[in-house]
Amino acid sequence: MSGQVLVFQVLNGLGIGMIYFLLSVGLTMIFGLMRFVNFAHGALYLVAAYVAYVVSLLTGSMLWALLVGPLASALLAVAAERLLLRRTYSMPHEAQILVTFAVALIVQEVVILLFDPLAKNVPVPDFLSGIVFLGPFVYPAYRLAVVAVSAAVALLLWLALERTRFGAILRAGSESTEMVSLLGINVHRVFLGAFALGGALAGLAGALAAPLRGVEPFMGLEALGIAFVVVVVGGIGSFTGALLGGLLIGVVQSVMSSFWPEGARLMIYGAMALVLLARPAGLMGRA
Amino acid sequence: MRRRTLLGAGAGLVAAPAVLRAQGTGGRLEVAGVYSLSGTFANVGDLLNKGTQMAFEHYGSATGLRINYTLLDDQGDPGRAVRRVQEAMGQGIRHIVGCTNSAIALAVAKEVHARGGIYIHMAGADEATGSDCNRASFRWPGASFTAINATLRPFIERNPNTKRWYTITGQYVFGESLLTNLKSVLQEAGHRHLGNSYHSLSEREYSGYITAAIAAQPDVLAICNFGNQTVDVLRQAVSFGMKRNVKIVVPWSTGLDQFQAWGADICEGVYFGVNYWHGVDSPGNRVVSQVVRQKTNGPTNYLQACGWAVAQMLVEGLNKAGTAEIPAVIRALEGLSYEGPTGTETIRAEDHQVIKDYYLMLGKARSAMRDPADFADVLAATKAFQPPERTGCRMA
Repeated sequence: MSGQVLVFQVLNGLGIGMIYFLLSVGLTMIFGLMRFVNFAHGALYLVAAYVAYVVSLLTGSMLWALLVGPLASALLAVAAERLLLRRTYSMPHEAQILVTFAVALIVQEVVILLFDPLAKNVPVPDFLSGIVFLGPFVYPAYRLAVVAVSAAVALLLWLALERTRFGAILRAGSESTEMVSLLGINVHRVFLGAFALGGALAGLAGALAAPLRGVEPFMGLEALGIAFVVVVVGGIGSFTGALLGGLLIGVVQSVMSSFWPEGARLMIYGAMALVLLARPAGLMGRA
Repeated sequence: MRRRTLLGAGAGLVAAPAVLRAQGTGGRLEVAGVYSLSGTFANVGDLLNKGTQMAFEHYGSATGLRINYTLLDDQGDPGRAVRRVQEAMGQGIRHIVGCTNSAIALAVAKEVHARGGIYIHMAGADEATGSDCNRASFRWPGASFTAINATLRPFIERNPNTKRWYTITGQYVFGESLLTNLKSVLQEAGHRHLGNSYHSLSEREYSGYITAAIAAQPDVLAICNFGNQTVDVLRQAVSFGMKRNVKIVVPWSTGLDQFQAWGADICEGVYFGVNYWHGVDSPGNRVVSQVVRQKTNGPTNYLQACGWAVAQMLVEGLNKAGTAEIPAVIRALEGLSYEGPTGTETIRAEDHQVIKDYYLMLGKARSAMRDPADFADVLAATKAFQPPERTGCRMA
């Protein structure tokens, strides 16, 4: 593999990593704040992807799809939290996993009932359907746009976490929910807000991914696997960790597809194992 | 009379009704279909199963016996498929159809053969009617040898200047089979195989492999896989602009359902190899198309046709044999010709492979589509099968 190809694979990996960050940051936020293992996170990604498919089919506009998709996921997250998930907060993690996994499977089967199990195409917006030349290499314009949106969201999220009252409460809550509650803050409302935000972020990832990957009913569970790897690698509950973890996993996957193509997928988990050996709490996790 | 003999006879008398019911006296024949309703190939399994169901409902009966069809969901796992088949055969079912992928078919074929059943499937790996053939198993679609030869040879004839090939291959039995056959054809044609990127069956992100392919500067990119992964690879390859200066060949495509998943813009200018096309006018295809349209209000896709085809083969064999007894049905199927979904189809006795057409198609522009299902034109229809003595099949 030439040096040029290696450099491009690294750049490509950073692009993939930004998408993985968007997919994972909501999950890590929810777990960091609430110590809640949300296996329904992939279902939020799936729902937004299908909403994006329907909206783009009806309106021909990907912009509307990007607005409505995450909103739908946020609403689903809020509804699930209010009606079901808050009853499991005091239960052991195993129970939370069972309940949220059941929600994920129900959502998947409902999607199959409504749309059938075959993959569907979501066209890339015309103005982003071309390619961009990066030296001797080409890169899809849409992927570049996705990377740019992910970077913008990362910046906005960081600003929200660091510069707003809500962000301060989230950060404090991830340290000690009891203390936040003692300060007179309605913790349940904070949890609801976190769920909505996490759902919206997963939904944005799903809506953005739809033109890249198409939509099919099993994409939620597949995305969940990657999301958990990124969260574990980055450190549970860490925004920066989700970003670094996503970028690391993206780069490993992309570079290995040239060095060892058949093992590229395996090396995602290999990288996770190596990180955990060196830093058991993840790159930015607290021990 | 010895005690053991008496006990054995008594057990036989008790079990006989169940066995006889399963085999087809009492007016009913139990048939099982092995398909995946979950896992990587679940979307494939569901439609295959529906095709089989539609066929059995249409035929209703064979050799005077009403067909009762049961689905065995293997969840995409060969081990689970074998266990489900063992359970079914333990309950007396002997007539089995279907598979979602080659790994499942090869495992189930061995089991059905060992237990004295008959198995008609749609595996794509050459081994199924090659080194792993057996008397109990029959295969409908053309396999990887057929797919490659019926696709690449007419493609090379039409594109004589495209001599540098790169492949992206799913690393499993069927992908390997496609790749091996592809390399053989390229060697014979004097073309260069620049390189190959394997990927795992759980892969969804192909940008790295596509980058490697672009760096090799091929004339042709061939995608050696099937199912959702083929859909993803082609979509991502097109998004990277590969159609600008590279011809893309998909030797094994399931046709209409994948074309719909891609859309016309991605399909345009891409070469596809397919086992079935709804637009082919033949007596057998008219029957399939009519039934499917009545049920679904749409054209027939490959998966439905494939599911139909294996069921039809069983019915044709039963009717010719005049009995549900396995050895008689097997003999009836060997050499049988009938009107199938692709026209006149013949079951070769030496390896139990159905000899049928395989199509090379070229995706057309959206503006050239005559109806919403008219994604591609048939460029060639070829019966490309290895001579039986070269398949490696030694029928036991």
